[in-house]
Amino acid sequence: MHEKADRITPERAAALVRAIATRRDRDAFKELFNFYAPRVQTMLMRSGATNEMAEDLAQETLIAVWRKAESYHPERATVSTWIFTIARNRRIDRFRTDQRAQLHHVYELVQPTGALPPDLPLEAVEREGRVRTALDGLPEEQVRVVELSFFEGQAHGDIAKRLGIPLGTVKSRLRLAMARLRDFLGDTR
Amino acid sequence: MTITHHPSDETLAAFASGTLDEARSVVVAAHVCLCAQCRATANALEQFGGALLERTNPAVLRAEALNSALSRIDEAVPPVSARRMSLDYPDVLAPYDVGQWRWIGRGLYWRKAQVPSYDGTRVFMLKAAPGSSLPHHGHSGIEWTCILQGAFRHNLGRYGPGDFDEADNSVEHTPFVERGATCVCLVALQGNLELRGWIGKLLQPFVRL
Repeated sequence: MHEKADRITPERAAALVRAIATRRDRDAFKELFNFYAPRVQTMLMRSGATNEMAEDLAQETLIAVWRKAESYHPERATVSTWIFTIARNRRIDRFRTDQRAQLHHVYELVQPTGALPPDLPLEAVEREGRVRTALDGLPEEQVRVVELSFFEGQAHGDIAKRLGIPLGTVKSRLRLAMARLRDFLGDTR
Repeated sequence: MTITHHPSDETLAAFASGTLDEARSVVVAAHVCLCAQCRATANALEQFGGALLERTNPAVLRAEALNSALSRIDEAVPPVSARRMSLDYPDVLAPYDVGQWRWIGRGLYWRKAQVPSYDGTRVFMLKAAPGSSLPHHGHSGIEWTCILQGAFRHNLGRYGPGDFDEADNSVEHTPFVERGATCVCLVALQGNLELRGWIGKLLQPFVRL
């Protein structure tokens, strides 16, 4: 039915997570899984995980979506962003040498799961719309550098080598992309 | 709290994407907890990640991947150990073992936090008496500091509560602790114990115990 999901609207994704939270809806889980698991796997492979580990972590990530569905706040972030952070935290914890302390607790402190912090300059939904608009408006060459740096954790020097461009160009593209993001956030720092 | 010194964009992006070394992440997190502006930026970067995730080309999963996940979703969840919060150190250190304060001379104390690191970066808290000054020093690696209490000054400005000082091996400075309040910092320091910097020299005999 949802074997090849090409896209999913933020509203649809949020409704699916709600369906899991309120009535443990397995069809909703299947639909989320079919869209997100293959993409999380790609993301993890790009960040250096082996095929097997990426698949395993992608599965763990979606299982965490099922288990944590009640704690998802649609007003805080879209489902895609929420899943991005779960996958990130799973990957970090998997690669850690010391398994006792879990770094994802540190991220949870930074992003508390309780009431919305009153100091946010904008509602999360509106902010997220702005981030997407900013991303849509970036030239492809900037998106590429942002992806390599952000997704794959590549050092600027490695990106320069890989793309065959000067280091200064890598830095300026990243700076431009961040400035664009800041413009859309209304951050005048 | 007026925060004037922040982590670089590169550092915030590495933090948000999860590619930053754990020891550094902890000190960045201490700042982000205190700084609404960097919290908003880190949030925006996570949203960037979410938007990029949506646009990623899907991998081809094994045919049984979905069924395998479905068979596991109802498994009992392993219990999560409670965090040990303390008024004595910042919340970001709660997942880690934190040592006792130890005197290292001249109104200076330190306590170590056992944070794993891939490149030998150490995390510790430092407490310096009001009005003290620290010897001029350079850095053999990065020295990232989040000020938790009190303030110090060096040639790059004044660093008060919440400020983030992102120094690397190109920086040499002479911090002066302001009068009035004891200065407490959380520090990530990269480099071995043969550092020529003051911290390395001061810590050396104690860390070797």
